[in-house]
Amino acid sequence: MNFYPIFLREMLIFKRRLLNIGYLFSTMITPLLYLVAFGLGLGRGISIEGISYLMFVVPGICAMSSMTNSYTWIATTISVGRLHFKTFEEYQVSPVTATDIMLGEILSGVVRGLFASSLILIAGAIFGAGFPQNPIFLLVWVLNCLIFACFGVISGFLAKSHEDTATFSNFFIMPMAFFCGTFFPIDNLPAFIKGFLYILPLTHANNALRTSFLGQQVEMISLGIMLAFLVISFYLGVITIRRSNR
Amino acid sequence: MIKTEGLTKYFGNIKAIDNLNLHIKEGEVFGLLGPNGAGKTTTVRMLNTLTLPTSGRAEIDGLDVVKQANEVKRLIGVSPQELNLDKELTGRENLRLHGLLHRMKGREERIEELLKWAGLSDRADNLVRTYSGGMQRRLLVGRAIMHRPKVLFLDEPTVGLDPQVRRQIWDIIRDLTRQGVTILLTTHYIEEAEMLCHRVGILNHGELIALGTPRELKAKVGHFVVESLDNGVTNYRLFNTRENAYKFAEQRADDVFIRESNLEDVFIKLTGERIVR
Repeated sequence: MNFYPIFLREMLIFKRRLLNIGYLFSTMITPLLYLVAFGLGLGRGISIEGISYLMFVVPGICAMSSMTNSYTWIATTISVGRLHFKTFEEYQVSPVTATDIMLGEILSGVVRGLFASSLILIAGAIFGAGFPQNPIFLLVWVLNCLIFACFGVISGFLAKSHEDTATFSNFFIMPMAFFCGTFFPIDNLPAFIKGFLYILPLTHANNALRTSFLGQQVEMISLGIMLAFLVISFYLGVITIRRSNR
Repeated sequence: MIKTEGLTKYFGNIKAIDNLNLHIKEGEVFGLLGPNGAGKTTTVRMLNTLTLPTSGRAEIDGLDVVKQANEVKRLIGVSPQELNLDKELTGRENLRLHGLLHRMKGREERIEELLKWAGLSDRADNLVRTYSGGMQRRLLVGRAIMHRPKVLFLDEPTVGLDPQVRRQIWDIIRDLTRQGVTILLTTHYIEEAEMLCHRVGILNHGELIALGTPRELKAKVGHFVVESLDNGVTNYRLFNTRENAYKFAEQRADDVFIRESNLEDVFIKLTGERIVR
């Protein structure tokens, strides 16, 4: 097991980005826009299932932002490192395994996802949504980052060009952000769409983050499905890395 | 130390390397020579585990590069043609990560040693993207030898460098040769191979067309060259002795040029093509 150097590399880059105010600002701006537009603008005076819209949307945007940040960071760093700078060859000629690379990358994705989405929680708390109290929230939050970091690895290694990772994002990540219960409950949608959404990981991340955020009982099925997604996507990621090595 | 048997690589239908048989001894500096697209880089990538052979096999220190790839990776150092340093990190950080990837003990001491060796001590904490091409190449070679590999692959180590910087890299390679590292060097600069390598293999269109010491290869084609201009076409005639070359030259009325043969003449003789320099 030697994933630390891979993790460390991403953290060194991340540290450098954090010192860049422009980067920090652009990380915050999109989810913050959503929060202000939906939570304070659209949602003022609206309540869903007996709770204020702000309380509804904060865990949703937290799920969305942890998803996109974990995914994008990893997919970009890998596809650029592989295709453009060829820095990945350094790992491939070093005695580290595909699992090491996978672990190092997804852990850095978690740091990145947690960082970006914690800014949302802070902003939400400032607007009066409060902080999550239930420790299950942290578990689901990390789980969500891990799953999408795994997707990021897969997409980064399969990409034939840097644009490919954006294509995957447009067809898979962005629709999930909108339809998996981030901004409105999926109960509002027709049954066949609902059935489809039920097999997507972000639906369950939203569900579990929201219930734990509100101090309600988290459905075990959501945790189970997310865990299954993690196991499968981790495995697929390791396979993808192994194949790309040759 | 390096051994290949029938090593062959196809990319789709395109033959990159055909039936390569090589034996490189411990401590030997072996030059793989050939024009662009001859299959030099493909050979190196098969030996350093980055590319899977289509057929045949290769060994590094008795270890199969496909079946025992992870063990092979401990023994080899790789300096690829492309400068694949992490440009967003500092020189020191690049070396530190490499040491961690190889789980090196005494990492920090080795980093200082290498920075000094590569003449980068005062720039160690600057981002690599601020380095010149020569500095990056030195760091790349430094990184490749950091974990003290038994076998070093240097793929086109001097391509695109200024003459002075090329000489620095040559000195570095000579230094490594003295330390007894087995080196596989690819280049399309003839004089580089002639100067640095114990033995040379010439690749053309994926086939090894000549193998031997630079001296042996030159002896095969003749030690002296008379170049003459006939109706706007440069002609080469190769001679085994200086006397024969003079004799021929004296019969010519027009301007001729006599010189010692070099590996490029070997290449031209064998392929009928001139290497583009």
